[in-house]
Amino acid sequence: MEVFYIDDQPVPFEKGEKILSAALRAGLEIPHFCYHPALSVVATCRMCLVDVTDLGNGRPAPKLMTSCSTDAMPNMRVSTQNDKVQEGRELVMEYLLVNHPLDCPICDQSGECTLQDHSYAHGTGHSEMEYNKRVYGWRDIGTFVQLERNRCIHCSRCDRFTREITGTDEFGMFNRGHELTLDTFSDRAMTNHFQGNMADICPVGAITEKEFRFKRRAWKLRKVPSVCTGCSTGCNITIEHDRNEVLRLKPRENQDVNQWWMCDEGRLTYQQMNEREQRLAKPMGRVKGKLLQVTWQQLYDAVADRLEALKPNREQVVALVDTDSTLEEMFLLRRLLQEVFSSDQVFYPQQDWTQPESEFFIETLITTDKAPNQAGARLLGLKGSQEHDVISAMKSAKLLLVLGNPFINEQPLLDLAGTTELMVHIASRQSEWTDRADAIFPGQNHAEKEGSFLNKQEHWQRFWPALRPSRHVRPEWQILSELLHMGTATPVQQTPQFSQIFQQMTSIEHNLFGNLALEKLGESGISLANLRQQSDTLAQTA
Amino acid sequence: MLEETLVLFRNIRTSRYDGTLDSYRKAGGYQSLPKALAMQPEEVIALVKEAGLRGRGGAGFPTGLKWSFMAKNTGKPSYLVCNADESEPGTCKDRELMLKDPHLFLEGMMIGCYALGCHHGYIYVRGEYFPAIKSLNKAIDDCYREGILGPKLLGGDYALDLTVHTGAGAYICGEESALLDSLEGKRGHPRVKPPFPAVAGFNSCPTSVNNVETLTNVTAILEMGADAYKSLGSPNNAGTHLVSLSGHVNRPGVYEVAMGVGLRDIIQELGGGVRGGKQLKGVIPGGSSSPVLRADEIDIAYDFDSVGKAGSMMGSSAIMVFDEDTDVVKLLHRISRFYNHESCGQCTPCREGTHWARQLLRDFLQNNGSERKLNRLQRVGRNMGGTTLCALGDAASMPIVSFLKKFPDDFRQYYATAS
Repeated sequence: MEVFYIDDQPVPFEKGEKILSAALRAGLEIPHFCYHPALSVVATCRMCLVDVTDLGNGRPAPKLMTSCSTDAMPNMRVSTQNDKVQEGRELVMEYLLVNHPLDCPICDQSGECTLQDHSYAHGTGHSEMEYNKRVYGWRDIGTFVQLERNRCIHCSRCDRFTREITGTDEFGMFNRGHELTLDTFSDRAMTNHFQGNMADICPVGAITEKEFRFKRRAWKLRKVPSVCTGCSTGCNITIEHDRNEVLRLKPRENQDVNQWWMCDEGRLTYQQMNEREQRLAKPMGRVKGKLLQVTWQQLYDAVADRLEALKPNREQVVALVDTDSTLEEMFLLRRLLQEVFSSDQVFYPQQDWTQPESEFFIETLITTDKAPNQAGARLLGLKGSQEHDVISAMKSAKLLLVLGNPFINEQPLLDLAGTTELMVHIASRQSEWTDRADAIFPGQNHAEKEGSFLNKQEHWQRFWPALRPSRHVRPEWQILSELLHMGTATPVQQTPQFSQIFQQMTSIEHNLFGNLALEKLGESGISLANLRQQSDTLAQTA
Repeated sequence: MLEETLVLFRNIRTSRYDGTLDSYRKAGGYQSLPKALAMQPEEVIALVKEAGLRGRGGAGFPTGLKWSFMAKNTGKPSYLVCNADESEPGTCKDRELMLKDPHLFLEGMMIGCYALGCHHGYIYVRGEYFPAIKSLNKAIDDCYREGILGPKLLGGDYALDLTVHTGAGAYICGEESALLDSLEGKRGHPRVKPPFPAVAGFNSCPTSVNNVETLTNVTAILEMGADAYKSLGSPNNAGTHLVSLSGHVNRPGVYEVAMGVGLRDIIQELGGGVRGGKQLKGVIPGGSSSPVLRADEIDIAYDFDSVGKAGSMMGSSAIMVFDEDTDVVKLLHRISRFYNHESCGQCTPCREGTHWARQLLRDFLQNNGSERKLNRLQRVGRNMGGTTLCALGDAASMPIVSFLKKFPDDFRQYYATAS
């Protein structure tokens, strides 16, 4: 790869690559507004000006060049810091702020606003503008995003987004010159399912999410990498939370999965993470037909006693698992049945789903499989409800274990649950199963626990805990591993660590997971196909 | 005594010439096209290069060179788009050609299409030019009827279609890449260059965008040969050009003169001097975007290089003359208003700067001027130059900078009397 020099630092570039994209890849910063790697280059904000002191042929460029649209050339020398560049940036900053309302105190973008950052870094701090600022009329453009046109700096990212990324083109720039403005086509509401991304790519507060409006200052938010549970695509997200409340979900760039985007439906799943009313908050046991609050120890003891009395054989044990359980939970549940009851009757609600096809990548993000981990259940060899008869298995069941809330729309199954001798429900949220349960182990929700999912393409991704759970609940993997210890009568260690469970899983299932250590599964995950390839090459070299 | 050199206007200046196909043929029309068709396309380009024809749209870029930049063997069709969106204030030469002698222009366009291997040419006409549009459409219809255009160009084996496309009145659509966007049916916004139109223009195909007068000159070059054509102008500025003379002169109008005649001669002799026997104050020598020249600076030859040397530009050869009574602040305000209205709004400096400059100038007119505002106006004007994607930023910047430099006292007068 050839190199050019930015402020005397060598930067490698591919042929035809622009100065700005090469610089960003090398981790250098050049301030910019209109450039976005996913969108076409328009070079209109003029913020990314650089001084090309040597075009690679010994001659300087005649004027400041926009780095987003200038090809990098071998041995080119670029200055991003000299006085000429500073002056150029100051000028652009001044012009951008001429009509910007500077309403940062009431703007949701404040704190994560590129205009604010660049203004502090490159602006002069004063303006000679003494006329009234431009004021646009107010527009409501739909349910998901809020348009505040006065804050717009006309970078046209949103315009290009609807044109080039979603292809819906219902939103754009209208009028011209200093009256240039944003609007939806003929005053209709926005129709695309990815409007939240417009708020993400907006460098200022012109487009913000309605859900997040006036809820929290951006700098208060703490951010934890996670995976969206909205569907089997598993978009990489950041859970942004404060005071133990999730405020919003933002997409995290992952070129293998979701690129830069996520859908609005996925963004709304934050509400489930804050769910309190339907929450299973405390361990409960059925005493004389009534569900009463008990301690964890009482619950384990009671379950152990009942099992002792029942002594179910392998046909009499059935486990149902929801496909939004993590790989580790599914693994532990399967192991529990295998090791304690020698049973393999772990069923999951198998779903036919379709992968939408479109020339626009973003349209392929929303699948019809609304569970994040069906691929994991299949891979671990659990029994799919379409291929195996859950109902006949349930008919002979004495012990029923339900992890999560699967099959809640299947009345025959729910009815059969009443005929079992012991029904254990492990979940974070109430459902029809809860009313029929004899023992309720309250679990943790997606934002509180750790785990990993396999998405539709068998891309293996982990997520981290964001919220601090109540002290009365335990993560499902912990509950299952405690049940496993109880059932196999092995001594319980002190509270198990997630990494140990993970290690157990990858070493027992090393042919699936290649004995991977938890630390190796980074923020962007790993494709199982790649993993197999890697272990194959390792085996070959060995 | 300066007289017109009639090449492009030779038919128009003939009495009883009505611009129809018949009269054009009678005047010797459609004789150059067969000449071109008998040559190889490369030879036509070489001939145009040899003749030293420079684009008449404003930049003065050598046409032959532009044509030779066209990407070849791309597997895509190539296009010749005629820029007839004549919208620089002061310019009205292309209208004359399209209105009064459309076939002369169309013949040049056909030769150009042949030279570029293009089978579909577009003429992007300014939307307000209703009579010119009508005349062009009629001329093209006549050509189709007579078998000049169509699957057999002049009965030969070259297929050529011409389409007239009307703009919607945006100045920015005279910028070639914005014109192409507009022609494709998009908003007319200037594109990022490179890629230049010669590589990826109309529908991402190789495209050459040429002015009406430039293409009309091609007919003349084919007719008279490169040497005879070159001998008409001054060195490096070949041929004749159409001068749109307007403002405070006795006889405003479009005149055809050889390149390199004296600027003062054009005003004094062709234009009949300043109206009402007043003193000349200044001249805008190349359309409203060109830097202004004071009365004592116009003893120069009127061609691309000489006007450039004098610190201005010849642009589209639109001379605007103003006399001693002119209020240059008002004049500049009017010009700024135009660029403010026509800025597409993409680039930050132009979008905000054109409006700011207009507001500052309005302040002067309302007797709110001050030294501080004068300096600010200068800075705002200067900062638009060279910082934008297309040339509109420069076009808005040059008049402001030059007026402030050439006529500072006129601005001072405003706030001197106010205070």
